[in-house]
This record gives sequence, C-alpha cells and structure tokens, in this order.
Amino acid sequence: MTALANPPTATPDAYARQMTRLTLVWVAVGLVLFPILALLGLVMRTLQAGYFRATPPEWFDAVMTLHGLGMVGVWFVAGLAALSFVLSAYVRPSLTVSKLALAMTALGVILLLVATLVGRLGVGWYFLHPLPFHSTDTWPAWATGALFGALAILGVGWTLWAADILRAIAARYRLSEALGWSYLSGRTDVEAPPVVVIAWVSCIGVLAGLVAAVVILLLVAIEVIGGTAPSDALLIKNLTFYFGHMLVNITMYFGVGLVYEIMPAYTGRPWKINALVVISWNTVLALVMFAYFHHLYMDFAQPRWLQVVGQVSSYLISVPAAVVTIFSALVLVYHSQERWSLAPTLLYLGVMGWAIGGVGAMIDSTITVNQQFHNTLWVPAHFHTYYLMGVVLMILGAVYHLATALTSERRELSAARRLAVAVLRLRSGDGAGSALLGHVPPDRARHDCDGIHAGHVQPWPSVGPACRRVMVSGRPEVSVHSVRALAS
Amino acid sequence: MNPSLAIFLVSTLVIAATFLWVARSTSEPGAIDYARANRLRGVFGVSLGVILAIFLVLTLPRLPYPVEAAAPAHVVNVVGKQYAFSVSESPGPQSLATWEAEFSPVVEVLQGALVEFRVRTLDVNHGLGIYTPQGALLAQTQAMPGYVNRLRVQFDQPARIPRCVWNSVACRTTRCVP
Ligand code: HEM
Ligand SMILES: [Cu+2]
Ligand SMILES: [Cu+2]
Repeated sequence: MTALANPPTATPDAYARQMTRLTLVWVAVGLVLFPILALLGLVMRTLQAGYFRATPPEWFDAVMTLHGLGMVGVWFVAGLAALSFVLSAYVRPSLTVSKLALAMTALGVILLLVATLVGRLGVGWYFLHPLPFHSTDTWPAWATGALFGALAILGVGWTLWAADILRAIAARYRLSEALGWSYLSGRTDVEAPPVVVIAWVSCIGVLAGLVAAVVILLLVAIEVIGGTAPSDALLIKNLTFYFGHMLVNITMYFGVGLVYEIMPAYTGRPWKINALVVISWNTVLALVMFAYFHHLYMDFAQPRWLQVVGQVSSYLISVPAAVVTIFSALVLVYHSQERWSLAPTLLYLGVMGWAIGGVGAMIDSTITVNQQFHNTLWVPAHFHTYYLMGVVLMILGAVYHLATALTSERRELSAARRLAVAVLRLRSGDGAGSALLGHVPPDRARHDCDGIHAGHVQPWPSVGPACRRVMVSGRPEVSVHSVRALAS
Repeated sequence: MNPSLAIFLVSTLVIAATFLWVARSTSEPGAIDYARANRLRGVFGVSLGVILAIFLVLTLPRLPYPVEAAAPAHVVNVVGKQYAFSVSESPGPQSLATWEAEFSPVVEVLQGALVEFRVRTLDVNHGLGIYTPQGALLAQTQAMPGYVNRLRVQFDQPARIPRCVWNSVACRTTRCVP
C-alpha cells in the first residue's frame, strides 16, 4: 500500500512539493481546455441562431459531442485534483496514480478530439447504443473506434485515480470513520472532517458509475467482436445514464467538498462534522444511485415502478442538499466576518448556482413535467446552471484559494516560509491584516489551529487549504492543518 | 406562463434574495445563535418536505404510462429509422429493406379519440414528439430498438408532425381530422 502511494525514499517535504506541482498541472489542463470548450458552446449557439447556414449539420453534433464529453471530463478531473490536494492534508493520495491518470486523460482527450473534429463523430455525450454503429456515413468506423478507445482509457484511468483516493482514506480511517458512522455511535475520538466523508462518498459513486461504463464497453465489444445478437437497448440506456448521472453528480460533490473545507477559512467559523452532515451524506450516497432513473422517463418500456423510484429519489435527494449543505453554508456566512475576496465569492455564488440549477433539475425530474420538457432546452438550461454557475465557480474559487499556495511552492522555500508567503499573499489580496499575520509566531499559530479538527495528526508538511482568518481574527476555533505542519 | 417556469422563476428569486441578504449581513459581523439557526433549519426542512409531498401527491397519479385497462379506440403504428417516421394503422415497415414499400407518411385520427401510438424503430433510438401546428409539444416518447413504447394521446386539438427530436430530421405528418 505504502509502496504504491510513494517511493519510500520520498520525504514528506518532497511529497508535498510534488503533490503541489501535479495539482498545478491538472489545474492548468483544466484552465486551458475550459475556454476552448466554452467557445465550442458559443459556436453551437451561433449555429442555432441561424448563422453560418452553409455549415453541414453533422458539425453541430460533432461539436456538441466534444463540448459535452469535454466539459464534464474537464471539471471532473479539475474537481478531483483540487480535492486530492485538499485531502493531502489528512491522507496521502498516490502521486504515481495521479500521474498515470493524467497521462491517460491526455490520451483520451486526444482520441476524442480526433474522433469529433477529424472524424465528425456526432453521437452526443451519451453515445447511445447502437447509434455509434449507425453513422449513415456521417463519420467513419475508426471514429467510433476512437470514441470507445477514449472511453476505455479515461474509464480505467479515472477508476484507478478514484480507487487510490479510497485507498488513501482507508489507510488512515476505518470505514465507519470515513462514512462518519463512528461519529453517530458517539465515538468522536477519531473523526474524519467533512471533506473526507464527502470524498469517500464521492469516490464510491465514481467507481459505481465507471463500472457501468465498463459494462457498456464489454457488452459492445462482445457484440462487435463476437458478432452476437444486439445487446438489450434498454439495459444499455440504463447503464449509460447511470454512468453519466453519477459522474456529473459526483463532480458536483467534489465542488461541495471543497466548499466545506475552504469556506470556513473566510468566515472564521468552523464547519465541523456533526450528525447532520453524516446522515445527509450517507443519504446522498444511497439516493444518488436511484435518482438516475429520471433520465429514462420517456422510455415507456422501463418498468413503471422504476420511474416512480426515479421521481421520489430525485425529490428526496434535494433534502440533504438544501437542508444540510446549503442551509449550513448560509449559517456559516450569516453575520460572519466574511470579506468577499474572489475565492469566497466564487464559492458562495457556486452554492447559489447549485441551488438554482437544482430547482430546475427537480422540476424536470417530475415525470408529468418531463413529458413536456424531455429533449427540450430546459435540460441543457438547468444543468448548465448548476454546472457553469455552480460547480465550475466552486472549483474556480477553490483553485484561486489554493493558487497562491501552489505557486509559492515553486520557489523551493522551506515549508514554513512557503506557508507564510502564501498566507501573506492571500491576505494582501483582501486588504487588511497581512501585517498582523506576518507577526504570528509559528508555535502560537499552531496552538491556535488545534481547534476544529482536533485529533488529527499532521504527518507531513503540506500547504493545506484553510488557514488564514485564524490568526487575523484571533479566533482559535478555526484550524489549519498546514499550520501545524509548519512547526513540525 | 408555463407553471413550471413560474415555479422556477419564483424559486430563483427567493434563493437569490436569501443569498444576497445573508451576504449583506456580513457587513455587521457578530456571533450567531446556533440553537435558533437549527430551529430555523427544522422549519425549513419540514416545509421542504411538505412541499415535496404535495407535489408527489399531485403528480404521481398522472403518469403518462398506459395502464392496461382502457383499451384504445385507435392504434397508430409508428416506425422510426434514420431519418423518418412511418405512421399508419397497418403494422408499418417491418425492415429497412421493405421500408420504401411499406412506408406511410400520414395517418388520420379522430378528434377527441384516445389514440395509442405503438412506437418502434428499425435502427437506433429516436425521440418521437407530437406537436401542434404551432410547434408546441403535445406528447413524446422514445423509440428504442427491440421495444414497443406505447404512448396514449387524446387529441382535443389538431396535431401534426411526429418529429424526431434527435437531429433536425425530416418529418412526416399525423393529421388530426375533426
Ligand atoms: C461556457 C459556456 C457554455 C456554453 C455557451 C455552452 C453551450 C452549450 C450548448 C449550446 C449546448 C447544446 C444544447 C442543445 O442544443 O441541446 C451544450 C450542451 C452541453 N453542454 Fe454546454 N455550454 C457551456 C458550458 C458548459 C459546461 C461548463 C458544461 C459542464 C461542465 C457543459 C456541458 C454540456 C453538456 C454535457 C452538454 C450536452 C451534450 C450532449 O447532449 O451530448 N457546458 N452546451
Ligand atoms: Cu441525473
Ligand atoms: Cu431519430
């Protein structure tokens, strides 16, 4: 386990440095791809508005396929990369696995680009079987091959990555701790912070979704290579939308996990694990897997009771999101000392966009409404709201928050100096307080930081996420793991 | 206004106003009364639960899926392929090879009658939408290989255009005669 995680020779400091560098690369990949993919979105709107009528219609489909798969992929990896970095304050995700996932992601993206832009593959993100094999000569067979190749490579790479996060968490926390159950049973000596519980729930969800994708690929391979009868179309559609639904929802949870971990640094109030948080995220894990039925409402062959399960689960899953996470985010901010620099503003707006897009999603998840809304612009409208105005803002906020820490890493300073520089830089971003910060002696800071996640041993230095207001505000209950690292 | 859109816009206003109000409260930092916050959370949770329950009770009995009991007066067979739908009272095209011979572009149904569309496809999944002449969506279902999806529609108004929602495809008409 440890061998996989890191070569034994890597010192804790080297690990932190490499983790930082790797996170920067992931973030850079996302920040480069995002504007390009957004531009493709603009191209689609332009075509829809009736400009460039000479464009062959298959270009729209090819561009939409690239845009959809690309955007979901970009924010999935950016979210998981940011989450890994934040998690590395508590556990030790493997750098090797992350690098492997990075290489496989690059390969998958290249295959997708070629399939769509050269091959004009226009199957939509859901590549709904058997459409990839019925191109009516719009795209060549190799483009379909490239698509499935890309899916296989991305699927394996991301499965390994998510599995490694689970491994890293399991190396430190027991299952009952990672899921927060130990907290419910009153054992509060080892308590996982919310971000660990959310990461655990999310990565289980990722694996479940990717397993469905692998099954699709196998069924298709059997059919193509073995020349057997076509696979059951309803089964494949269930698997496809299970996969897509899980991936998109889990990306949302990555963003929410980052908000839990980072927001407290700006409001000067802790966001601790508590019974509500535990119950809500366990409920989410149970419900998210059944809510996907809302994608098959217009498949009347689907058993009726599954359709009902889809609507009921989709409705119920809004309860933990609204009553626990969103409400708590508001309580966290209400009359706090929040100063609205860029990072917390993005995080906060992200939570708001999630709530608004979520309402649109719930309306659409009502079967009688879906009869009117399925396949209309309501669908892209609502998920662009909770994505673009939700998780994208959350991840951008988190990345901005981490950015100074990340870039200062490059200067190869000692952990303590690095942290100080990062903190100063961040503080100077929102005005007052930086001078004061510079005078906090390290052991005072460590002492102050013992509150919120008491009981955590910080085994290696890393520039953790949540460490500023502490000293500025003199509120000892807000912790920062990295600060403890500073003195270790 | 479409009631869904109204609900969405009102919810959006409420959410945005709440977030703005909470954001503005930070101009006066102070302690927070967690007990009170949690009482409010309870009220919010119960209200949300009640609202959801009301919507479930209102909408779940009105599922669009046909129940066996009411035998339809009219059956229309819809067969899809890239890129057309055949609509007819006869079984319609049985394979791509016989498509040209068995294809039927138009079917007439009686106004006021309950019509059951039995929707199949010869190649890939298609979305079938039935629109008013003005282009408003009346009802829809999917055509899925290997399955027959049965969609029941009561035509109180004339309808046309079974339209494949995927791609801007050639459309043929269902004409509804008064
Ligand atoms: C930045 C500006 C963006 C613009 C202008 C844009 C625009 C569009 C448009 C016009 C469509 C086609 C909708 C249709 O006619 O059915 C679309 C589809 C889609 N978009 Fe975006 N989008 C943007 C950002 C995003 C983001 C951030 C995500 C997700 C992270 C995203 C994910 C998707 C997906 C999954 C689809 C559906 C693709 C499919 O059906 O295969 N988009 N977008
Ligand atoms: Cu979904
Ligand atoms: Cu079609």
